[in-house]
Amino acid sequence: MPTVRELTALYENFMLAPRRGPGVCVSCFNLTDGYRRCYACSHRANVLDVVAPISYSVAHEQLHHVLASYKRLTGEVARRLRIQLAALLWRYLDGHEPCVARAAGADAFPVVTTVPSGDRGRDDRHPLRCIVGELVAPTRTRHERLLRRSSANVDARAFDEDKYTTVRPLDGEPILLIDDTWTTGSNAQSAAAALRAAGAGPLAAVVIGRHVNRDWHENDRRLRALDQPFDWTRCALCAQ
Amino acid sequence: MSCAPETAALVALLRAGKRNPTVYADLVEEAGSARAVLDDEQGLLAGQLLDAAAAEVTAWSGQGMELLTVLDPGYPANLRAVHDRPPLIFVAGRLAARDGRAVAVIGTRRPSPSGLDRARAIAQELVACGYTVVSGLAAGIDTAAHTTALAGGGRTIAVIGTGLLCCYPAKNAALQRQIPADGAVISQFWPDAAPSRKSFPLRNAVMSGMALATVIVEATHTSGARTQARLALAHGRPVLLVDSLLDQRWAAELASRPGTHVIRTPAEVPAVVERLTSTRTLVA
Repeated sequence: MPTVRELTALYENFMLAPRRGPGVCVSCFNLTDGYRRCYACSHRANVLDVVAPISYSVAHEQLHHVLASYKRLTGEVARRLRIQLAALLWRYLDGHEPCVARAAGADAFPVVTTVPSGDRGRDDRHPLRCIVGELVAPTRTRHERLLRRSSANVDARAFDEDKYTTVRPLDGEPILLIDDTWTTGSNAQSAAAALRAAGAGPLAAVVIGRHVNRDWHENDRRLRALDQPFDWTRCALCAQ
Repeated sequence: MSCAPETAALVALLRAGKRNPTVYADLVEEAGSARAVLDDEQGLLAGQLLDAAAAEVTAWSGQGMELLTVLDPGYPANLRAVHDRPPLIFVAGRLAARDGRAVAVIGTRRPSPSGLDRARAIAQELVACGYTVVSGLAAGIDTAAHTTALAGGGRTIAVIGTGLLCCYPAKNAALQRQIPADGAVISQFWPDAAPSRKSFPLRNAVMSGMALATVIVEATHTSGARTQARLALAHGRPVLLVDSLLDQRWAAELASRPGTHVIRTPAEVPAVVERLTSTRTLVA
């Protein structure tokens, strides 16, 4: 059986660690032209108390391809990608879940849930729930499917408070949301809005890949300047 | 089998060649149709281009080549999972479901006697464990890997840097004709494409993509094997280095990269690949 370290090592050559700094969105770590917040985060509600991306996911490069393929493919190859992504999440949470909790103002997260797909048809068999609920030891005992895509007729890609419904009321408990990819954040923020309306306490999201385009403005130069190989001892939240 | 109109549409897109082939793989997978991308890109010209492409596809099929597009269920599953997969491959012979368990064994064109022995021993161990041996049909280590797999009753896949109708090196023409009986020769290039400086690194990316891992048996700092090691790591696939390489500086540096494993005995190759690619469960 593979160990978490052996599998995460396979991704370290292309993972790119987000870091705070000028021209980095303070909410979601998107690369901006010097703005404090990116366009998406300054034009919709920011319900989440903290967003922690593990790596940048560069359009058309390997991590981006894996984050799309683990949902699209079937069979042995899909299982292999799933177990590799589980290893990334496991290692990140093992080292840095306390950083996420601290940033969200929580002691710990008693409940972990996943952001459902914006597309209802795809949510019934979402492999992310298998990753968080079965493969990742640090989350499997705390995983609960709290959210469902509502029947509201809303754009699958837009932020909407009515996009998701919660399966039960919440009593101020801190909740850790997990998603594979953050592009504009509309799904994760919609999910957070539903949880907050149901009575959730501090809300944090950990995402595997923060989507970026290499050919946008200075992104190529800025992405090249990030550390490689990937350093698991520091995360986007705790790195100086 | 491929849906012929979609195959012809993809050939038409690639012949017009407005963009990098990998971009077409993304566009076609996203749209679920090559025809839709062709119509979008070529408008009124699409029909004419499609007719010309369909004639080419028919001619290639008549020559015994199978064309597989990213839309075909038979497109190799391992290759589908790498970002720079070609949208279309040409196959001589037959790809089998069991070729998902494949390992690339590669190295120098001018091996030492002990390098050849190691290549043969590694190919034998892989075949004994049910793995398909992938290599590049070059002289030296590649030839030893292919011929040992065949001699041991195993399967082998040659990923070549020319079109299927060409052969490089010429002295491997017989091997190129022999492999399709118990495996496949595959190419991402037009069937009449001659070898070029650019084609071999592109071929290395496909070889890495076809395999669960790449083993470098013997190589120097100028070998194409180094290119493949870099590409395999960029695909998130393990690179296995035979320990005798480590007295070279490039190899020692490569061995320090994450995802690289140093191999001391041939039997370690299938054992390490088996452990790293097992999908049963994950441990701390």
